[in-house]
Amino acid sequence: MCLINNNLVLLISLKPPNSLFLQALKNYFIFVFLFVFGNIFSQNFSIGGSIKDGTNGETIIGATVLLKETNKATATNQYGFFSLTAPKGKYTISISYIGYKTVTQEIDLDKNTTLNVSFSPAETNLTEVEVVTKRGNENVQNTQMGAVQLDMAEIKKIPAFMGEVDILKTIQLLPGVKNAGDGNTGFYVRGGGPDQNLILLDEAPIYNASHLLGFFSVFNGDAIKNVNLIKGGMPAQYGGRLSSVLDISMKDGNNQNFQVDGGIGVIASRLTIQGPIVKNKGSFIISGRRTYIDVLAKPLIEKSDFKGTSYFFYDLNAKFNYIINDKNRLFLSGYYGRDKFVFTDVEGGFKTKIPWGNASACLRWNHIFSPKLFSNMSAIFTNYNFSFGATQDDFEVTIKSGITDYNLKYDLNFFPNSRHNIKVGANYIFHVFVPTSVSAKQGETIFDLGKTIKLYAHDAAVYVSDDWDISQNFKINAGLRFCNFTQIGPFTRYKKDAFGKIDDTVTYKTNEIVANYNGLEPRFSARYSLTKTASLKASYTRNFQYIHLASISSVSLPTDVWMPCTEVIKPQESNQYAFGFFKNLKDNMFETSVEVYYKTMSNQIEYKEGAQPSDNVFDNPDNAFTFGKGWAYGAEFFVKKNVGKFTGWIGYTLSWTWRQFKEINYGEKFLAKYDRRHDASLVLTYDANKRWNFGMVWVYGSGNRGTLPNGFFLYEGSLSNDYGLRNSYQFIPYHRMDLNVTFSPDRQKKLEKRKQVLIEQYKLEGRDTTNIVVTKKWAKNFSNSFTLSVFNVYNRYNPYFIYLTREGDFTKGTLKVGARQVSLFPILPSLTWNFKF
Amino acid sequence: MKKIIYISVLFILFSCRKDVKLKLPEYKQKVVVEASIETGGPAIVLLSNSVPYFGDFDYSTPEKSFIKGAFVTVTDGTIIDTLKELDPSTGYLYVGLKITGQEGKVYSLRVTIGDKTFETSTTILKPAKLDSLYFKGEQDTLGFMWQTFSEPKGSGDAYRWFAKRLGRDQFYAAPYLSVFDDKFIDGKTFDFSYDRGPQPNEIKQYNDDPEKGYYKRGDTVVVKLCKIGRREYDFWNTYYQNKASNSNPFSAPANVISMFDGNQDVFGAFVGYSPSYDTIIIPKNP
Repeated sequence: MCLINNNLVLLISLKPPNSLFLQALKNYFIFVFLFVFGNIFSQNFSIGGSIKDGTNGETIIGATVLLKETNKATATNQYGFFSLTAPKGKYTISISYIGYKTVTQEIDLDKNTTLNVSFSPAETNLTEVEVVTKRGNENVQNTQMGAVQLDMAEIKKIPAFMGEVDILKTIQLLPGVKNAGDGNTGFYVRGGGPDQNLILLDEAPIYNASHLLGFFSVFNGDAIKNVNLIKGGMPAQYGGRLSSVLDISMKDGNNQNFQVDGGIGVIASRLTIQGPIVKNKGSFIISGRRTYIDVLAKPLIEKSDFKGTSYFFYDLNAKFNYIINDKNRLFLSGYYGRDKFVFTDVEGGFKTKIPWGNASACLRWNHIFSPKLFSNMSAIFTNYNFSFGATQDDFEVTIKSGITDYNLKYDLNFFPNSRHNIKVGANYIFHVFVPTSVSAKQGETIFDLGKTIKLYAHDAAVYVSDDWDISQNFKINAGLRFCNFTQIGPFTRYKKDAFGKIDDTVTYKTNEIVANYNGLEPRFSARYSLTKTASLKASYTRNFQYIHLASISSVSLPTDVWMPCTEVIKPQESNQYAFGFFKNLKDNMFETSVEVYYKTMSNQIEYKEGAQPSDNVFDNPDNAFTFGKGWAYGAEFFVKKNVGKFTGWIGYTLSWTWRQFKEINYGEKFLAKYDRRHDASLVLTYDANKRWNFGMVWVYGSGNRGTLPNGFFLYEGSLSNDYGLRNSYQFIPYHRMDLNVTFSPDRQKKLEKRKQVLIEQYKLEGRDTTNIVVTKKWAKNFSNSFTLSVFNVYNRYNPYFIYLTREGDFTKGTLKVGARQVSLFPILPSLTWNFKF
Repeated sequence: MKKIIYISVLFILFSCRKDVKLKLPEYKQKVVVEASIETGGPAIVLLSNSVPYFGDFDYSTPEKSFIKGAFVTVTDGTIIDTLKELDPSTGYLYVGLKITGQEGKVYSLRVTIGDKTFETSTTILKPAKLDSLYFKGEQDTLGFMWQTFSEPKGSGDAYRWFAKRLGRDQFYAAPYLSVFDDKFIDGKTFDFSYDRGPQPNEIKQYNDDPEKGYYKRGDTVVVKLCKIGRREYDFWNTYYQNKASNSNPFSAPANVISMFDGNQDVFGAFVGYSPSYDTIIIPKNP
């Protein structure tokens, strides 16, 4: 406390500068500087290092590290690194993580110390609460709001559609995150669009996270370690999107033993191989997945109208890591996935091929300067592209679109003393956009469709943030992010007259600036502890988004096009205010929270009435856009049980989401398509014993909104639809229950039984029974499990879309009208066999 | 293409459909104006009201949607032509008596129904001619109409295509997607084809016709290629988009861009057609 007083005295003695604002800013920095570094020279020492799973060398994200005597705790960062500072002395350090045996160690802190700890998973019996803990009350005590961290083991227990474990489907079960209905992995966070989520796979942004029109996500559960979702109060190290961050970490690979995991499901199979390159030092993991609908359905399709249709997708994940020494570690990770759709009509002479997919690579270098200073440098490449090729007789057309990023990132994590955790970093991305480029020819005639259109942009940001324990009860996280986005040439702008005729073009040369935007993003959150297990939190964040997904349809399609800010498209901006109450019960067995939020969004994009995402031939795609604003507010309730035989959560959200566009809906405000008044989910898993596990999911959501025709008209002797006001129709509510049961045969028990049989036999034969040893015949470490999952247990027909039908002849007075609802998935059981050795 | 993906996905994943009862938001009827004028012809205006789905409109009396007693005028700037309601007992059809369409002229339409007045205008442009017309067989004696066209240089042109089988069709019929602009083809010589469109009010006969969409060997076909303006093109283009998107989940609701800008009470177009004609007698034998 006296330190603050000293600083205040110092502040008061400062000469008053001219501008009040400048003065305040200057004072703030001096204040922070003195405060942060003020006690750096006192007799404090730091202890820092990384936490690993001893059985496979995987770093552990979010493990709690506690200095018992001081009651100071911290959680490991996304690289498994932690740092704590305390005065010279003897301490007991305790490291805990859910599903792991808590490690306690005595340390003598008389200098800055590096401590790398390996600890191992508890022997499955999760009921022993005393040895296996969760993060303690970290969720209550940190400043982060609107965040949920899920471990892959947790996700795998939840029933999965067609047996395919799906991260995106799981996070849709959390409050504040809305799904779009069946068959869609797109998610909507607090009223934001699906393009406003920053989805990172080992730091590489993934631009289209779905396979097969969104029925499955691109993330192969076997290659994933951990998932972290931030839906509000986004810290300053993240940026570029308005609504959320989904940070997905891939496994590092087992650096102790070779290990093979795999699974055979109804529609896809998976195989993962991992092992040490150099034991304890380096490891690799390679994981692949492929669907075989094309193979299975072929005989059926050949006899149907769909003859010539074939579809499949695959994913490949790979990662290598090498621990150079205690202070340096290198990672190289990559992802490659493709969807491929082929249709051939031999008689009609028609052929089409539609491949699309993501590719990403990331090279990372973790460097520990000291137990107080951790750094990470990443070089990232990411690419998404879509192509459509069709031939009809001698007519050929090819359409291509995509986005490629070259991305450099440097982050420093500095722990000057136990009260501060400072993050500083910079990020630079060079974007190359291909927003739909068409080429066509007929025989020898090549149609003039202009050059392949590519758009280029620089995207840079710097940030600083401080997680600051002001007092025992009060903690803040203050951050500032500054970003710049510059679209550069070559570029041609087509200007149109009132009749849509091009009347002017402006051409920009290579590297010439087309559009330039700056943004300052304050990020602030604060926590006030009421008790050890209860706190109040508040946050304010401003975000800018410089790239946009132009989507014409209500579901995310591979044809959706990413567009940068141009001189026509202004950056999207959001301001979010949130307030929350957090409380843990029964020794942190239950985590509960209530959060309310209000969010405004500007420069939202929609296609103009009647516009189509077509070609960009002598045109710019943004000429078809119209701009408006959005706002959303709501309350989220969450109860989660982390330990015990029964685990799971209940989430409920009450929310409103609005949009308003000058050129849509006659300028009137309208509810967004995924406006959801009530949204609830119940997730339960039950670990009966070593052999049997059960899971259940139930979801409920108010119906989506849509625009249906509510009238029709006669024109040139035929009838056409007249659509009602935008999103004026509300579909019936969505609800569904899924169940699963996993059976893991216990090989040990089987061996024991066999031994007993042999003993009986030997006894009968009068032989000595003391030396009977029954060994496993093959694969000593082999284990396997069967999962039966049932999707949509009570066979609810949830609407996918509704269309109106007309039969008969209007002018002859025989017209009959009706409405038909299409639902995607009835009750669908599926069986998956997983194995490991 | 979207349709192909979508159909196969639905097929693969056993979708299910069922009839449902809908409660749609209340519908406000609109005046529908279907107006045109072409070189050498009178102004023709069809007036009706749009009809609600599941509303209180009785579908067995479609004539109740026709508008009677409207006051309709067309002017070329000098002459004002008051259109005649051909059959005052049914309404619907209004025809001009004084003005016949002339190339290069601008025509303004004014429709007054009760206390409401709606206005728009159109121009008859300079026509463009096809180079040649030919028939390409698809199956047996049936096939499509092909043509070679040298599109005049200068971007922003738009066209609508009609055809009529002499002795078989009453009207020139426009097939689905019968409009195109010169975005891809400006100043180029190229070949294109169209299938046969339905006659007005005969959709059912058309759908049941074994010759549906085809022309037949032995037919004499007159093709009428009309140059149209940009706003007229936007209307027809969005009209066909609207037809294609009957609640298709993969497309946005496609409202037609009306030529009565921003007026919520009325909807429709006034199109000046500038036709050029070509005739082909399709030989009986290839």
